[in-house]
Amino acid sequence: MFDIVQKKWIFFGISIVLCLISIVSLIFRGFNLDTDFSGGIALTYEVQGEDFSTEDMSALISDALGDGKAASSVQKSGNDVIIKVGYDSGISDEERVEFSNSVRESITTALEGKFGAPVVEGADATETAAEPATADTEATADPSATVEPAATAAADETESTATGVSTAGTLVSGVRLTSMDDISPSSGRELARSALWMSILACVAILLYVTFRFEFTSGCVAIIALVHDVLILLGIYSLFYVSVNINFIAAVLTVLGYSINNTIVIMDRIRENTRNSRKESYGEIANNSIWQTMTRSINTTITTLLTIGMVYIIGVASIKAFALPIIIGIVIGFFSSVFITGPLWATWRDSAVNAKRAAAGNKGGKKK
Amino acid sequence: MSRSLVKFAAIILVIAALLYVGVYGLDFTDKYRIPGITDSDGITQGLDLKGGTVIVFRAAADDPSEEDMDNVVNLLRRRLDFQGYTEASVTMQGSNKVRVEIPDVQDSDTAVETLGATAQLEFKDANGNLIMSGSEVKNASSEYGQTEQGISRNSYYISMEFTPEGQQKFSEATKTAAAAASSGNNYISIEMDGNVLTAPRVHEQIDSDSCIITGEFTADEASALAANIKSGQLPFSLAVDEVKVVSATLGEEALTKAVTAGIIGLILVLLFMLLIYRLQGLMADIALLFYIAVVMILLANLHINITLPGIAGVILAIGMAVDANVVIFERVKEELKLGKTVRSAVDAGFNRALSAVIDSNVTTIISAIILWWLGTGTIKGFGITLLMGIVVSMISAIFVTRFLLKQMIGMNVKNPWLYGLSKSKTGSESVKGGKA
Repeated sequence: MFDIVQKKWIFFGISIVLCLISIVSLIFRGFNLDTDFSGGIALTYEVQGEDFSTEDMSALISDALGDGKAASSVQKSGNDVIIKVGYDSGISDEERVEFSNSVRESITTALEGKFGAPVVEGADATETAAEPATADTEATADPSATVEPAATAAADETESTATGVSTAGTLVSGVRLTSMDDISPSSGRELARSALWMSILACVAILLYVTFRFEFTSGCVAIIALVHDVLILLGIYSLFYVSVNINFIAAVLTVLGYSINNTIVIMDRIRENTRNSRKESYGEIANNSIWQTMTRSINTTITTLLTIGMVYIIGVASIKAFALPIIIGIVIGFFSSVFITGPLWATWRDSAVNAKRAAAGNKGGKKK
Repeated sequence: MSRSLVKFAAIILVIAALLYVGVYGLDFTDKYRIPGITDSDGITQGLDLKGGTVIVFRAAADDPSEEDMDNVVNLLRRRLDFQGYTEASVTMQGSNKVRVEIPDVQDSDTAVETLGATAQLEFKDANGNLIMSGSEVKNASSEYGQTEQGISRNSYYISMEFTPEGQQKFSEATKTAAAAASSGNNYISIEMDGNVLTAPRVHEQIDSDSCIITGEFTADEASALAANIKSGQLPFSLAVDEVKVVSATLGEEALTKAVTAGIIGLILVLLFMLLIYRLQGLMADIALLFYIAVVMILLANLHINITLPGIAGVILAIGMAVDANVVIFERVKEELKLGKTVRSAVDAGFNRALSAVIDSNVTTIISAIILWWLGTGTIKGFGITLLMGIVVSMISAIFVTRFLLKQMIGMNVKNPWLYGLSKSKTGSESVKGGKA
């Protein structure tokens, strides 16, 4: 049986290098914040009948925007293309609305020029249309008053404009806007703040639970593993500059809660094995505990990856972006639980014993 | 043995029935129905699935009062009603924002414009001439009490206060209106954005800084009307902070794909458990079906807003659901290797693994609760389904699987191979024991 504890420096080395790269990247590179956090416009277009590359698309959009402006990201997912354009942080509310509308119009016009106007089949115009308002006068009008009927206010407002999001039917050819997301910079900052608070709160709550539930060394080891997992996950997203949105935060919190699973099972086994045997060294206990729970660690990781992996493989772009960090987090969590926590616990324990012995030796020496 | 068989059959039937209810719903009596996920009113789909528009308005003021924000909510509701968006929802978000969700994407630009416009509250005479605007009303409130002398009956009415200018204009208008009493045109209509809120009759000139509007109002009607008159004089305008539009087609595609992913993931997990843990795996699979049934019933009945990440939460929880069973079964295998009988190995496995199962789930529950509690929009949906998934899965993995295995043992199904031991280690060799 492979002695994980003896070869611990290989694994510690891998972890330390990954953590250092992550820290450096987080400090110097930072995050590629999505429009969720930075404020901006995200437009999703469905393109049918003609294939396209993201490079061509980017060039097309830069031309359409003019003034040397460019989309902050252009992402292709099947027949969909997601285009993001950021706001300047100092933009006023009025300027923003104007900018948003002009961006949407110019991009839509440019895309329709390239791929053609939308040709839709089987569209049922009334499907999602609002029903014209019936005059709602009963509720509040004075019963003794003669009230003129209120105009059917909504009647002229259900027509779709050329640049609006289209709703029903199957797109046969051309291009159409299927979703739009417009967030002000202040709103993004607020969201980022609340995400930060959620993360801090989750860390503190999990920390409290682990300290309360486990003895000191195991608790510390579990928390080191947790920080390690999240740090590397954040590092990967920073290094590869993958855009980070609110869903990413939810994924990180899930990893925070879940990656500790395997660690807890291993620590639980170490606790039991320590109780049962006095002869073995801490290293042996840790190594045995890791191997006894190995099948379990692998199998639970597989079952979780089977389901979330399917979500990643089959799902639409937005859900892929949500599933990926969870998958990465689960894999890192498996690595740290199996290869880091046990050896770390043994090393910690051994050094504590050595320190005690040394202290006892010194004391004895002084007394004599 | 027969007793175990009956119990086993009974729980299988119960799970089958729950699955049926989860999918198709159940008519409890003539009046009450438990909806299933295929019912139209079963799952409450989030806007990212059914398509629609979300607009977040921010009060363009530093520190708006709670009362003002309530008025904004009221104003937006009224405007949505007038436009026929009866299914739209208006909720407060934080202390200075209002979130409007409209299950329609026809024209978000117009919606943003009409909803966010400064309220136009106008007082007009019978001929449609403008008398005064809402800014000349200082306050409006709903009150309850005696409205006329000599009538002892109490009723709800609206009390309005005017600015000095408003008082003067109102006085003149009521004078003209009262004079027209014979023709029946003696009313003043109060309109918001061109829609008549109320049109009370005027019987005499009112020259005072306040007046009341009476009628057969209910408490709700009176307070709604007062709020509407008041919201016509908001001290700030509304800025658009966020606009999100998802077409129904995109949401539909996302939903279909997510559900397909869930079903394939589920089948893979069922097969995996069966192959690795054999009989125990089969029992875990049955318990997993119990989990699916309970989650479907909860989703259809609790009216939780199901978002796309929410569905991911349900699917993720399927993978996590068997986690507890894997911990327990590995433990049972070890106990069997130590030479224990199947019965005591199963008991020991469940008892010893329990602490690890609970500890490892609590941390995920903590994360889920925080996401549910502090998250907004789609993240909230993920938090609630993940939380629900983990709790139900723990119950099904611990109690249902154990119950099923007990019945198996009761039926004398005790071949250690069925409980996951490899063939070479079954029988006498199983005494060998594992290295500790």
